[in-house]
Amino acid sequence: MSRMSRAVNGAKGGAPEGGGLLPNIRSLSLSSPSKHPATDPSSEVCPVCKSGTYLNRNMRFLVNPECYHKMCEGCVDRIFSHGPAPCPIAGCNRTLRKAKFRSPTFEDLKMEREVDIRKEVASVFNKKQADFETLRDFNDYLETVEEVTWNLILDMDVEETRERLRKYREAQKAQNSSTTRRALDHSQASDKRKGATQRKALDVSSGNTPEPFATNREDTGFSFRGLIKRKTPEPPKSFDPFDGWSIQPQYHILQDKYDVGWMTAAGKDANHSAGGYSMPAFYSQVLCDAFSGFGVFVEDEIKARETQASMDAGVGTRNAAMAAQGTKDVNMDDVF
Amino acid sequence: MKFFIDELPVLFPYPRVYPEQYAYMCDLKRTLDAGGHCVLEMPSGTGKTVSLLSLIVAYQQFHPEKRKLIYCSRTMSEIEKALAELKALMQYRTEQLGYEEDFRGLGLTSRKNLCLHPSVKREKSGSVVDSRCRSLTAGFVKEKKERGEDVDVCVYHDNLDLLEPHNLIPPGVWTLDGMLKYGEQNKQCPYFTARRMMPYCNVIIYSYHYLLDPKIAERVSKELSKDCIVVFDEAHNIDNVCIESLSIDLNEDSLRRATHGANNLDRKITEMKATDAEKLQNEYAKLVEGLREADEARDENAFMANPALPDDLLKEAVPGNIRRAEHFVAFLKRFIEYLKTRMKVLHVISETPPSFLSHLRELTFIEKKPLRFCAERLTSLVRTLELSNIEDYQPLQEVATFATLVATYETGFLLILEPFESATATVPNPVMHFTCLDAAIAIKPVFERFSSVIVTSGTMSPLDMYPRMLNFSTVVQESFTMTLTRKTFLPMIVDRGSDQNQITSQFEHRNDPQVVRNFGNLLIEFCKLTPDGVVVFFPSYLYMESIISMWQGMNVLDEVWKWKLILVETPDAQETSLALETYRTACNNGRGAVLLCVARGKVSEGIDFDHHYGRTVLCMGVPYQYTESRILKARLEFLRETYRIKETDFLSFDAMRHAAQCLGRVIRGKDDYGIMVLADKRFGKKITQLPKWIQMGLDQKSQKLSVDQAVSQAKAFLREMSVPWSRHEQEGHSSWNLEELEAHQQKKKLEAITGTENPVARRMEGRADAMEIAEEDEFGGHGMDDVMADLDD
Repeated sequence: MSRMSRAVNGAKGGAPEGGGLLPNIRSLSLSSPSKHPATDPSSEVCPVCKSGTYLNRNMRFLVNPECYHKMCEGCVDRIFSHGPAPCPIAGCNRTLRKAKFRSPTFEDLKMEREVDIRKEVASVFNKKQADFETLRDFNDYLETVEEVTWNLILDMDVEETRERLRKYREAQKAQNSSTTRRALDHSQASDKRKGATQRKALDVSSGNTPEPFATNREDTGFSFRGLIKRKTPEPPKSFDPFDGWSIQPQYHILQDKYDVGWMTAAGKDANHSAGGYSMPAFYSQVLCDAFSGFGVFVEDEIKARETQASMDAGVGTRNAAMAAQGTKDVNMDDVF
Repeated sequence: MKFFIDELPVLFPYPRVYPEQYAYMCDLKRTLDAGGHCVLEMPSGTGKTVSLLSLIVAYQQFHPEKRKLIYCSRTMSEIEKALAELKALMQYRTEQLGYEEDFRGLGLTSRKNLCLHPSVKREKSGSVVDSRCRSLTAGFVKEKKERGEDVDVCVYHDNLDLLEPHNLIPPGVWTLDGMLKYGEQNKQCPYFTARRMMPYCNVIIYSYHYLLDPKIAERVSKELSKDCIVVFDEAHNIDNVCIESLSIDLNEDSLRRATHGANNLDRKITEMKATDAEKLQNEYAKLVEGLREADEARDENAFMANPALPDDLLKEAVPGNIRRAEHFVAFLKRFIEYLKTRMKVLHVISETPPSFLSHLRELTFIEKKPLRFCAERLTSLVRTLELSNIEDYQPLQEVATFATLVATYETGFLLILEPFESATATVPNPVMHFTCLDAAIAIKPVFERFSSVIVTSGTMSPLDMYPRMLNFSTVVQESFTMTLTRKTFLPMIVDRGSDQNQITSQFEHRNDPQVVRNFGNLLIEFCKLTPDGVVVFFPSYLYMESIISMWQGMNVLDEVWKWKLILVETPDAQETSLALETYRTACNNGRGAVLLCVARGKVSEGIDFDHHYGRTVLCMGVPYQYTESRILKARLEFLRETYRIKETDFLSFDAMRHAAQCLGRVIRGKDDYGIMVLADKRFGKKITQLPKWIQMGLDQKSQKLSVDQAVSQAKAFLREMSVPWSRHEQEGHSSWNLEELEAHQQKKKLEAITGTENPVARRMEGRADAMEIAEEDEFGGHGMDDVMADLDD
């Protein structure tokens, strides 16, 4: 939320000179950055203090996502240590804070900015193909998202787009929280403490009324076709350690008593019972030994084993990665 | 001669047939009848190609369905040889049958070799010819011409449209030269004639790549029907061809050029938006519907192809976020920028595609799915923009292919990023290898699509390695030897010098002065005793250079110089061909020469040293691969985990197949003779991995020799060979006429009735001794034994 408000503020503040931002960035010299001093030693000069990598090989360059002007670490320390200050590059009057400075990931600062914008958009638009009824709808959705991102990147209708984004985000949030709340309500956990809220929510969900935000849909900023209605998740069942699997014998029934001469005698023998032997345990083990092989088919297991070899390709690739890096020792000594 | 194999009449263009040729044809027929794949090994120079062609053509003509033959070979010269054989065969058939069969046989090769356009054909580089040809022949050029714009077109190509589409060239067998002549006479383009006639041919002869490289196969070989008979000749290296066709290397320069290409595309899109926005809109509308529909115009003019994509993907629509042209170009740029940042790392990285993708997603929000469509989307865009100067976009195309591959395959591929060229380098020169570890991936579509695939070569031992590595099953697997009346080749293993010191190219010992001196003595002695040509193979260029400089100091070269002219192979192709020419001249004028070359170089693969061009071949050391390569390490590990092939097994298999290739260079026929020397003590334990026909000649008394022993054996052998000998001596034994063949068939039939197939008869046919069939224990074969053996060590 805080980032959003910042973004909106930034958009408001930046709107008048928004047109000027991009040319500004384009005019920056976007040659290779500082990590390769050896390849291109002369080109790296800090635009503020004019010192270069030629004299100081360990110089790092930082950018601030407010305006993406590059400057060296020393200048950042010098200018911004005492609180926010305007950007020292001529023509850029943005107020920058030291905390926001970071070293750029990409060589191309335009790309750096684009990725930041994408990050912001992706945090709002995070639908998956499974959320849509058809692939076509999903593709249309993707295209809309791409267009929104482009608007932001190319500084077209920034203000309007951001406003729509904000609305959409809030709508999403509302929807999400309502679904999670309903999910909670179905569970048995919050039964008495939140009696009142629960009752209210139950009224809503049991009556199957339209979703609360559906009334003011035109305010959500964006609407997409073909969205699958969210279902409230099933309340979790009580935990079953065997996951529905029964340990009851399938192929035989255990009786309490078996009338076989020597066994009856052995069961009655005080020597055995004194030693801790119990006849029911003996019966169950013997029957288990005799019948537990039922339902196991060797052919199936052979098939399973044969298919295993081809499924190993994943393991092979992973190990190959380790071998190539040298972390895994491949036996390559003299093969003779 | 004409004979019958079971019910099938075979016309063989020579009056006599070798027993092994007959057996080879029987096995081929068995495979075709059974409808499966097979692996066959037959020594070079025993007429493999002619037996293959005559049987398959007979089979085609005999059976009503007329299955098409696709014959793939490795080099241009082999393709030409096969075409010539086919032509002779068809001529013979016409003479014998008394009428001409309705038959078409065509060879296909690159545009560069088949171009007739007066200015284009003068270009040196193949890719320039391709791109210039496209700019003259692409579909949109024709459209422009029809609209009355002034564009250059190729008259040879356009004349084709005036002909009947299924009868561009009269029936018959056309060699490449013949095609060129016919094209010149009738002013039609031989390349496109061959391409368009492919569906109507009975026999197609072309290079492996047209079938294996998914980028080309998609275009060229798509229309071939399922029941085609596919033959891979000279296939001993097929796994490497498969792997190379799916591996991509990117470096900083290619990324820079890719960015350049993307910027160009961007500009073109803006231009087109201003002038012809409708076209882009049309493309967009088509993409919304689905990819295939957009591609209905996919034809031979399409030049950028997509790598092996699953069919379901091709039917799906392009994801929405790369549907618009400008979005897609920005997407590509983002991906390239990401790759550039990856290149900056200063330590070696190797990662699997899933891990690469997740990092990519984290950093640039590029999802896997649009990435998979990259190559197809780029093809469609380039077609819409009507670009003609394609070679500018080659790096971009490479990046797109890379994107598609990395997003399509989770296993069997690996990304290796090497920031430095060698371990000692300090200036970074990063290369990103996207390497395919699994040879089976590229060849899988071939095995799946065609019912009969025949893999054959002169050296394929051990035979079961290929089915394992390429992951297919065979119905027939056979190794043939050469039936000989006299022993015409003398293989020897030399493991020590005259001073009883070992001979080896083992890394620890290879630069010891005694070892080098012994190698030198070996060379001197064999130069003295051999008439005409001597060919010497070293494991690597590096070792060859170091040993030659050491020989210089030891006066070895001076000594050799007294007897032979010394010529050296270099990595440069032109220098090497010059050296080869000089070598041949020296051999022709009688003094003879010695050619020093490398076991994995050009000379070892395609060049024959028949008769006096090669009387002795020396293999100095075991030609192992460079084992410190990360790609090799990764592949070994993958083979072990996935196909249960041990590292050492694969390495020695690979070394021995190259050694066998080198040895095979000197024997190119039954009347040829030569000495083969394997000079390394380590060969002694690897005899079983040599082809059967070499093993047969390698008896106890020619192993573990010292240099002087080897010399005396070689002298005796040469004396024996100098005895005059006529071809008549081999009649009836190692070469049959019709009566002898029929007698043999009669005998076989009797044996089949009585149920006694004896090893003597097998040997008569030139089959190698039956491979012992491993008993399947209940754990599925002998895999367990290997584990137990390991435990014993």
